[in-house]
Amino acid sequence: MSETKCSCGCGRAAVGTRRYRIPVGDEITLAELPVGSSGRVVKIKPELRGRKKFADVGLVAGSELKVEAYAPFGGLMRVRVMESSMALHSADAENIVMERSADL
Amino acid sequence: MTRTRFRIALAGNPNCGKTCIFNALTGARQHVGNYPGVTVESKSGSFELNGASIELIDLPGVYSLSSSSPEEDVVFQELTKPGIDLIINVVDSTIPRRSLYLTTQLAELHIPMLLAFNMSDDAKKKGLKYDLPKLETYFGSPIVQTVGSRTGGVRPLLEQLAKTLEELEEHGVPMLSYGADIDDAIGEVAKKIDSLHVEKYAHIPSRFFAIKLLEHDTAAMRLKEFQPAQATVEEQIAHLWQKHAIEADTFMADRRYAMLAGACRDAITMTQERRREISDKIDMVMTNKYLGLPLFFLIILLTFWFTFTCAQPLMDCMNKFFGLLNDVIKAKWPETTLPVLRSMLTDGVISGVGGVLVFLPNIMFLFFAIAILEDSGYMSRAAFVMDGVMRKFGLQGKSFVPLVLGFGCSVPAIMATRTIESERDRRVTIMVLPLMSCGARLPIYALVIPAFFGGYSTFKQSLIFVAIYAIGILIALVAARIMKSTLFAGDGEVYLMELPPYRMPMLKSLLLHMWDRGKMYLHKAGTIILATSIILFICNKFPEKKTGFSQDYDAEIAKLSGSEEEIREARIELENQRQAEMMEYTVSGRVGRFLEPVFRPIGFDWKLVTASIGSLAAKEVFVSQLGIVYAEGDIESDGENESLKNKLRKNYTPLQGFCIMLFCLLSIPCLATLAVVKRELNSWKMAVVEAIGLFVLAYTMTLIVYQICTLLGIGTAKIG
Repeated sequence: MSETKCSCGCGRAAVGTRRYRIPVGDEITLAELPVGSSGRVVKIKPELRGRKKFADVGLVAGSELKVEAYAPFGGLMRVRVMESSMALHSADAENIVMERSADL
Repeated sequence: MTRTRFRIALAGNPNCGKTCIFNALTGARQHVGNYPGVTVESKSGSFELNGASIELIDLPGVYSLSSSSPEEDVVFQELTKPGIDLIINVVDSTIPRRSLYLTTQLAELHIPMLLAFNMSDDAKKKGLKYDLPKLETYFGSPIVQTVGSRTGGVRPLLEQLAKTLEELEEHGVPMLSYGADIDDAIGEVAKKIDSLHVEKYAHIPSRFFAIKLLEHDTAAMRLKEFQPAQATVEEQIAHLWQKHAIEADTFMADRRYAMLAGACRDAITMTQERRREISDKIDMVMTNKYLGLPLFFLIILLTFWFTFTCAQPLMDCMNKFFGLLNDVIKAKWPETTLPVLRSMLTDGVISGVGGVLVFLPNIMFLFFAIAILEDSGYMSRAAFVMDGVMRKFGLQGKSFVPLVLGFGCSVPAIMATRTIESERDRRVTIMVLPLMSCGARLPIYALVIPAFFGGYSTFKQSLIFVAIYAIGILIALVAARIMKSTLFAGDGEVYLMELPPYRMPMLKSLLLHMWDRGKMYLHKAGTIILATSIILFICNKFPEKKTGFSQDYDAEIAKLSGSEEEIREARIELENQRQAEMMEYTVSGRVGRFLEPVFRPIGFDWKLVTASIGSLAAKEVFVSQLGIVYAEGDIESDGENESLKNKLRKNYTPLQGFCIMLFCLLSIPCLATLAVVKRELNSWKMAVVEAIGLFVLAYTMTLIVYQICTLLGIGTAKIG
């Protein structure tokens, strides 16, 4: 990825970097889903670090997800997957491609 | 039963109620330790069943055997070692698909397995119905429904366990199929592994390793026994990719979940619409974007309030007890017989160890409160709401609670970092923790601030007080930031945290947790603190100065005349002067003198150096040690000593006073903290790095402040 990484090593983009999210075509990422909406995973991009770890808790193609909440001051989001709540970084969620359902 | 000894491993997801079942089965017969080389807690316990003695190993909670965390590595190692007779797999039956994911992997080990469908009462409430016989044939293992949180809820498990242990030889074989394409690939790799005849893992089917190798599992790929199969594995992966566009690292997860979806459709039914869980409702408030943080601070406040209110009376009692013990010993033990041993026992051991032991009630209550937060499920919510703030400083949500605890005492605070899963974040948190100004530094500030800044208004004095704390926090946050980008640079572990449903904590597990931590603390007091108390006592006492005093004190005292009151005061004065001279003669005094040139640039004379050395035992010793070298006698360490304050004013400038505080704030914490750093990071190297790092930090900061202010002439005039 070409974006400037945060110097603390957290793997997130540097503060102040503008991040545009313009969905192309029918693809929408998990990070773009509004709170309360749900959808089905289409694919997990190979760029996702620790893809296996996400897969192990049920973030695999075909599983149903629901965005439950965002943490204060951004960063973390809370997703319901396989009937349990998991917290993950929205930066990571950008690598999870969702099905664009009719209601969005 | 023919056999009398069994080793059983307890495996399951995090938050599946595994520990509940473990506690219910073993009671207090537990051994808590650490797996070598990692900071994963190991737990084992034992119980008897129909005359057979059973060793139960509580494996860390994992979602998978993928070795993507230290915990998963440990589970992989433990389960592939021979000698495990049975696996009890605890399954959270309210979330069957996610929980059975691990089961599919455990089943491939072909170790006899017993499935405990835990929280079956909640599952029933949720409207989940299981076709158990169907699932039993599917996984080739018997299934029992348990309620780990209820007394008697594990009874069915024990009944089934007795039956299963009788017929261990004839356990079933799972019928797991991942789809024809992948089953073929597994078959090919398994064939290759069979041809290698690996003795070491003969007890585990080659199929298990075939799957792991195909998944590019790091733990399996590390095993050199299977290196020759690598070519076959890559060949099969390439084949799968070309033919079916299947990606190596996630296809097994895909297929396992697909398989489970099928199994669940067949064997699990939902009889009623799932009601909206209470847990979600609580979370609407608790993790709310606006309410989340204030509520979090309120809960933390309550936690501390609870700890200190409950512990204070007990602490007072213990304080009195140790004081009384000292008095009794001193009264019963005549001063003439073995005087050195007498004072070593009372002034050294009892004062030193007792001074630390009085914090035991505090620690017990604190960890009781933390256990409530953890077991109820709130801790992960706290981490969720705090994460955004803490991450700006290179830390994470779970670092917050330990850091706040650090204002009390670094030792339990460092112990509390165990809740941080990410090893890197945990290390950084531990390293910066001693910079949180602990309670033992308070007496130093209480002495220095009124001594040098007594002329200011109380408001200004408290500002200095707050400034010292703020300097500590600021440097800690900056240090964390710097460490994250240097010492611990690189991509951290992937962040993925479960927010389990809220549950009522069980008193039994709360008490066990509290007892564990208390025991750890007692152990520390009994070993390292005992040793340092004795060493410091010796350094402060020997070699004894017998002759060569600047004046003949005994003769001077004999010569005293005047009123009784005058004689008494002059006598104390002389005694204190003698004590000061003796102090200078001891190891501590000599080391202080020897190191004086090193410390002169930061404004320290030998007396301050000596006091700093003494403060290694406990920070508040700085004050009493200073009292001794200034011939004030062995004053109480509450800093309420006017004449010591006067002496300080006469001898030092306000700038030096500030430097004393700054140095004490930033320098090496007490030795007990270092010992616990070593223990928690599992490395002497890190403990030494920590000590040196903090010393260098303290020295440089104080040097900068002292030199610049001296140059500018700020606070350089003595006021006494």
